[in-house]
Amino acid sequence: MNVSNAPTLPDVAWRQKHLLDVDVLSLAEIQLVMRTTDAMKEVLARPISKVPALRGTNVTILFYEASTRTRVSFEVAAKNLSADVVNIAASSSSVTKGESLVDTIRTVEALGADMIVMRHGTSGAPYLAAEVFAGSILNGGDGWHAHPSQALLDLYTMRAHLGDVRGKKVVILGDVLHSRVARSNVWSLTAAGADLWICGPTTILRGFDAWARRWAGGGAPGHAGFTVTSDVDAALRDADVVMALRLQRERMDAGLLPSLREYAARFGLTRERLAIAKPTALVMHPGPMNEGVEIAPDVAVLDRSVITEQVTNGVAVRMALLYLLAGGHPEAVTNA
Amino acid sequence: MPDLRVGETVQLLEISRAWLVDPVGEREGPGEIVVRDGILESVTWLQGDEAEGIGPGGVLVLPGFLDIHVHLREPGNEDAETVASGLAAAAHGGFTTVCAMPNTTPAADEPGVLARVAGAAAASGSPVELLAHGAVTVGRAGERLAALGELADAGAVGFSDDGSPVKSAVLLRNALLYAGMLGLPIVEHAEDATLTAGAEANEGLVATILGLKGWPAAAEVSAVERAIAILESVLADSPGARLHVTHLSTAGALDAVRRAKAAGLPVTCDVTPHHLGFTDEWVAGARRWAWEALDDAGAARDPWADGALVAHPYATACRVNPPLRGATDAAACLASLADGTADAVVTDHAPHTAVDKETEFGLAANGISGVEMAFGVLLAAVTAGRLPLARAVAALTVGPAAVLGARPGRRGAARGLVEGAPADLVVVDAGDRWRVTGDALLSRGKNTPLLGRELPGRILLTVAQGRVAYRDADA
Amino acid sequence: MDGRQIMTADEIRRAIIRISHELVEKQAGTEGLVLVGIQRRGVPLAHRIAVAVHEHEGVTLPVGALDITFYRDDLSLIAQQPVVKGTQLPVDLNGRTVVLVDDVLYTGRTIRAAMDALVDFGRPRAIRLAVLVDRGHRELPIRADHVGKNVPTSSDEVVAVTLVEIDGEDAVRIERVDAPARTA
Repeated sequence: MNVSNAPTLPDVAWRQKHLLDVDVLSLAEIQLVMRTTDAMKEVLARPISKVPALRGTNVTILFYEASTRTRVSFEVAAKNLSADVVNIAASSSSVTKGESLVDTIRTVEALGADMIVMRHGTSGAPYLAAEVFAGSILNGGDGWHAHPSQALLDLYTMRAHLGDVRGKKVVILGDVLHSRVARSNVWSLTAAGADLWICGPTTILRGFDAWARRWAGGGAPGHAGFTVTSDVDAALRDADVVMALRLQRERMDAGLLPSLREYAARFGLTRERLAIAKPTALVMHPGPMNEGVEIAPDVAVLDRSVITEQVTNGVAVRMALLYLLAGGHPEAVTNA
Repeated sequence: MPDLRVGETVQLLEISRAWLVDPVGEREGPGEIVVRDGILESVTWLQGDEAEGIGPGGVLVLPGFLDIHVHLREPGNEDAETVASGLAAAAHGGFTTVCAMPNTTPAADEPGVLARVAGAAAASGSPVELLAHGAVTVGRAGERLAALGELADAGAVGFSDDGSPVKSAVLLRNALLYAGMLGLPIVEHAEDATLTAGAEANEGLVATILGLKGWPAAAEVSAVERAIAILESVLADSPGARLHVTHLSTAGALDAVRRAKAAGLPVTCDVTPHHLGFTDEWVAGARRWAWEALDDAGAARDPWADGALVAHPYATACRVNPPLRGATDAAACLASLADGTADAVVTDHAPHTAVDKETEFGLAANGISGVEMAFGVLLAAVTAGRLPLARAVAALTVGPAAVLGARPGRRGAARGLVEGAPADLVVVDAGDRWRVTGDALLSRGKNTPLLGRELPGRILLTVAQGRVAYRDADA
Repeated sequence: MDGRQIMTADEIRRAIIRISHELVEKQAGTEGLVLVGIQRRGVPLAHRIAVAVHEHEGVTLPVGALDITFYRDDLSLIAQQPVVKGTQLPVDLNGRTVVLVDDVLYTGRTIRAAMDALVDFGRPRAIRLAVLVDRGHRELPIRADHVGKNVPTSSDEVVAVTLVEIDGEDAVRIERVDAPARTA
């Protein structure tokens, strides 16, 4: 049952009031999330996959961007913990009438929210929300910047199959420039000691090479490697994990890529390209997929594609995060 | 200090045992001054025993500062600042003359608007002198030249579409030709807007990690090089043409100006305290000075690796155009002051209401409220040994005066400690510190990332044209 | 560790043997019995009881572990979320007689939480309770079916059970503390 085969660090208490990005989590805190996710997976396996841990807690889901899978994943997670869930999809709320983010947060707080799960199209928005909200903010994705629950569920999925990612070659392939999944994965994978490779056309790798070179001197603790390249073969060779990223069409400037066909031809994850990686290499994708562009349809359904498992793990990881965040009240009485 | 009230003529003020800096006479050292009935009656330099124990770490007496680039927001955006509050804030910062930019609503593209702004200054009763730039184009829209001659007759000291570059090269060329005929400079906000569409923060490591759209240095460098090339092409027809590029933030742009000056072209430029003192690290939550963010080899450090992040990331008070750059660009700005490439320090004081700033970073208005903190930032650089005090003072006085082409006796005058002239000076206690708080700021714009931080140097008294413009409550 | 010792290793061993006989007697055999230890120290105790039952009955009872963290009634009151240890139940609980095993019975809130957890797994025929130490001060109407030792305590005391499997030695001690005692 316990997937944490890595050398375990002593139990650490969760002290974060918010979870806005994985960059502030220590390796011990990441391990705590993994262990708590194990327990949540066990809960999900029960006939009644519900526990009362967050009973009486109001979790408001505030999504400014259209998203079905992540929003539903958080909703299911919160309900499995018996929380009271309020769902606000920005298009149906007064947000479209021009209410500022700060006013919306204050309104949501006045309506009784204890925790807010928010997704927003502008990088940094949850940091602003955290300054005005008395409860906890869980970032469900902000602009290009961060998607902490996705990075943690990706890590959990990798560890479930590989045991420990330390020294393992993990390749992120695709539109990293516009990807909050990529950025958060850089933090979590380098903290966990993976040999991280990022690959894509030079126009959408912009800035990442400088990041990798800055950290190559050991800037990020624990990491085994951080390489950025547009050479797909070099990146995929003997990889243990290949994560394909969606081409963010709606975020792209005109002129970054000649065409999707050209991208698919040069960077798409096909059976032939996947053969360069290890035969046991995991295939991952945060979804939703543009099948035929960044990933071939027959690759997505391979046995070693863990894409649907990522979704299941996503609910468990989000349950773990909601559970841990719900306890962040340092002024409360200790009565253990 | 004697009982001095804001607005009143200084009857008698004697300051002994202070460190005087006179950029006109190019002299600094221990000295004494006497102001009587609004005139700087005597300036005495001390020698030998009398000069014992007086250093630049104590009380400084400096000529009043001149800021040739501020935004006073009136008319049109008085919630952010009025002429009255802006002049009071300027005085708090040691400025006795400021030059207002014309991007008001309506823009200062015809004499009536200039008259309105001048009227507001007179009505405020502030002794701080208000100069004004006129717009280059009608409405700053970049389509037709504004009434440059009428604006000059009405007192404009230069022309600028600041907030934006002059939108087309042909208009910039015609503006340089025409303004050259009038003997006034074009003050260009150099930016290639096609490279900065949607840009949020300096293109670099911080923007990459924070997921912000990059603001490439090339947008400024290419625009400066274009403007210089156009200037060069008009000189034959308009020998009086002058170009001033404002708020330069990149080493590349400063290098272009350096080369142009070496070639004898009539180009001048300025830098702001925030571009030489802060870096794009501040957007990630660092608050160390730019010179502290460089390693021994002169390369920018990594604030994450250094544990230098002490504030929330994405503070909109750090959002400004041009953006806060990396530490090497900031070092270039500081170096340009030391070697004279940059003629002046300006604040680009840009007050904003809380509504315009308390929003998502990508949606926040650009601009830092800076007129009250400028000298403190420069003094921090001086104290850190990065800039001689004399250069800092010159950049706030004779430097900007020369850009305006001012001569002694005219408006925007000499900027030195001149016996017999109306007193125009600043008294600073360089050994004291002050905490920047919303209450302490006289500007309506509290949008500065320095809120809550301490700055070196406390301005005790500002005297403009013989009258008290600002006086520290505890002095 | 200071404090006075109220059970030695031998006393613990004999108590476990007695409990193992009692619960078989109450069931009139071993049919349908499941031992479920409450994390953390209830788990090794449940295993020891199963070993003892095997020694005198020749039958190996199924043993499970139950983590009641998610069912605690005081989650909103404590500073940080307690770390979850995990639940493993080896058999279906429907129709079985579950014997909950814990080290110390105090206010009864842990057992209340454990029963809430159990019913989410199915419908046991019966739930019984075996504890090593009953220290009194019940806040809920809960009672143990099998008790190793009754120990009267005051509320400023803590009953500390150490077990070889977790702590390296077998002992039960009482310590006096100033902080509020834990609810158990």
